[in-house]
Amino acid sequence: MSAMETQSLQESSTHHLGYVTGVRTIFGLEMKQRLRGRAWYIMMAVWFLVIGLVFLLATLTTATMDGAGPFLFDLVVGFVLLFGLLVAPGLSANAINGDRTGGTLAILQITLLTPGQILWGKWLASWTASLGFLALSSPFIFWALALGGVNPLEAFVSLLVLAIELGLVCALGVGISALAGRPLFSIVTTYMMVALLCIGTLIAFGLSMSLVIEEDVRVTQSFYDYPQEALESGQMLTEEDLECVTNEVLTPVLHTERTAWLLAANPFVLVADAVPYDRDTGNANSGVVTANYRAPGVMESISEQVRLAQAGPDYEVTCEEAQFFGSGSRDIDSEPLPIWPLGLALQGALAGLVLWAGRRKLVTPVRRLARGTRIA
Amino acid sequence: MTNGYGGIIARGIRRSFGSVAAVRNIDFEAPPGEVTALIGPNGSGKTTLLLILASLLAPDAGTLSVGGSDPGRDTAAVRRKVGWMPDTLGVWESLKAREILTTVGALYGLSPTAAAHRAAELLAEVRLSDYADAPARVLSRGQQQRLSLARALIHNPEVLLLDEPASGLDPGSRVELRIMLRRLAGEGKTIVVSSHVLSELDEIADRAVFVNRGESVKSQTLDEAGTQLRRYCIQAEPMGALADALTSHGVVFEEPGDSRRVEYQVLLSSTEQAAWLLRTLILADVVVTAFAPAGGALEETYMSLDTERQ
Repeated sequence: MSAMETQSLQESSTHHLGYVTGVRTIFGLEMKQRLRGRAWYIMMAVWFLVIGLVFLLATLTTATMDGAGPFLFDLVVGFVLLFGLLVAPGLSANAINGDRTGGTLAILQITLLTPGQILWGKWLASWTASLGFLALSSPFIFWALALGGVNPLEAFVSLLVLAIELGLVCALGVGISALAGRPLFSIVTTYMMVALLCIGTLIAFGLSMSLVIEEDVRVTQSFYDYPQEALESGQMLTEEDLECVTNEVLTPVLHTERTAWLLAANPFVLVADAVPYDRDTGNANSGVVTANYRAPGVMESISEQVRLAQAGPDYEVTCEEAQFFGSGSRDIDSEPLPIWPLGLALQGALAGLVLWAGRRKLVTPVRRLARGTRIA
Repeated sequence: MTNGYGGIIARGIRRSFGSVAAVRNIDFEAPPGEVTALIGPNGSGKTTLLLILASLLAPDAGTLSVGGSDPGRDTAAVRRKVGWMPDTLGVWESLKAREILTTVGALYGLSPTAAAHRAAELLAEVRLSDYADAPARVLSRGQQQRLSLARALIHNPEVLLLDEPASGLDPGSRVELRIMLRRLAGEGKTIVVSSHVLSELDEIADRAVFVNRGESVKSQTLDEAGTQLRRYCIQAEPMGALADALTSHGVVFEEPGDSRRVEYQVLLSSTEQAAWLLRTLILADVVVTAFAPAGGALEETYMSLDTERQ
């Protein structure tokens, strides 16, 4: 083997970039910059203060309340999700075009990196950065857990789903930052996408009501009422006097089971629905408000409402059914299938689509260049 | 897939951005072992051409071979062989100079030890060893420029594309850049330097390609440039005697208004003619105090092209 062949052999063996090595290097590069900048720490401090303040106020107002644990727990999870949805776009949506503006993207593109490696590295880094915020709020979640009434499993599942949701929003942000020319534009667009998921899904669901309404359906109603004689007797009425009345009426019916999937894409629905609520629910569904009734937490009631929407017109547990099924009642929580896997799929598909489109913008040599942008 | 030619050959390159034609028709050739200058006014398509050669931008038309491979088809092969120094300074400001080099080294597939070794070597070469552990943001413009050069060299590329490498450099660093580029060319590497500071290219470049309005208008070696028609500046005490002597020998001269000093400029076709004129003037008892080419050889070509254009 001649000297020249040895030389070229060395070249080809050293100049090969493994896929994981590339992703890891980009991840390290991003993390170093975040950890050495001050912005991340300031945002974390503000986050901690705000969540702490909300938690403190909620603790004070619920100090005398029974079942404060579940209430506080749901409140913290809801707030962490809300704030996470506000922070994650800011952490991710300038990942690519920020580098392009700073002139450092081309320096990465000229190396052996593939577009996919750049996206993976940037996404993992922005996700990790947003997980820092989640870690910072976990003390409050565990504090609420310590107050009792909440199954520890709920806390872990909540944290897990929150982490996944942040990852999905970060993926959206990174993808959009590859698509849009300027960081400001991509950050605003990402916020709009998050707003679309949070509020747009609700609006769409509300507006679709008129499409799923069915007029004049013969419906069998049954409800508790006091019999006529009891009312006329003039005695103090007690619960024992109630009897189950059944009749048929013509009424419009909303088939929300056909549109409930719209709600699945909502991040709050996704998180609320994925948590397995294992709480003392009292007897909330039997139609009778009993003494040990406990109001469900924010997230818990979101989940309940969504499952009611999924059930459609059949959501009511009538007293007739209650009598038939006995004291155990009908468990409407487990009746419709959980909707969160659908939400995960919808949001994942959206994020994947945006990332796929963003990847095309990173392919070099560049054929089409957006107006007003420079490669370097 | 390589055609065995280590240098750069580009034929009929075209590239437009929307309705703006940045590169209309450029033929470009840079042989290995030589420094090729890419010369042209601002907005003439130099940076666009370098982006195309660096495999970042696809040409609309034309054939291309960089280090023996086609950037469009065999991008990875070109990337391994090409080092590119952009005209805009992009640095990761919070990273240390050493980290920038090792990170980029890793992205070229160097092992951590190889990258660290190479980084230390290059930092010494561009005189940044003292700043190796300083964040890039504290480096001056010239230092960042040198770091950028080291970054382009991290994977020991066969082809080096430098976009305005000398801008922002102090005179000492320019001399070092010159020495470094000559040494790299001596090792057989293909080096392309774009610039519009022509005086420094005179000393670095072996050949030059002139571009204007997106077209390659002239290609010549420095030896060719040296033998062409050149302007010379002459000063004497007093200037009147010089004017008389020039007129009596039928040499046309003019007095340029762009200089602080009073001097005459004449057009001479060769160094022999220049030697003849100087000897004649001195024999005619003119007290010649200065007799020199008005500008560098490349500047002469550049100015002549500029005149042709107008």
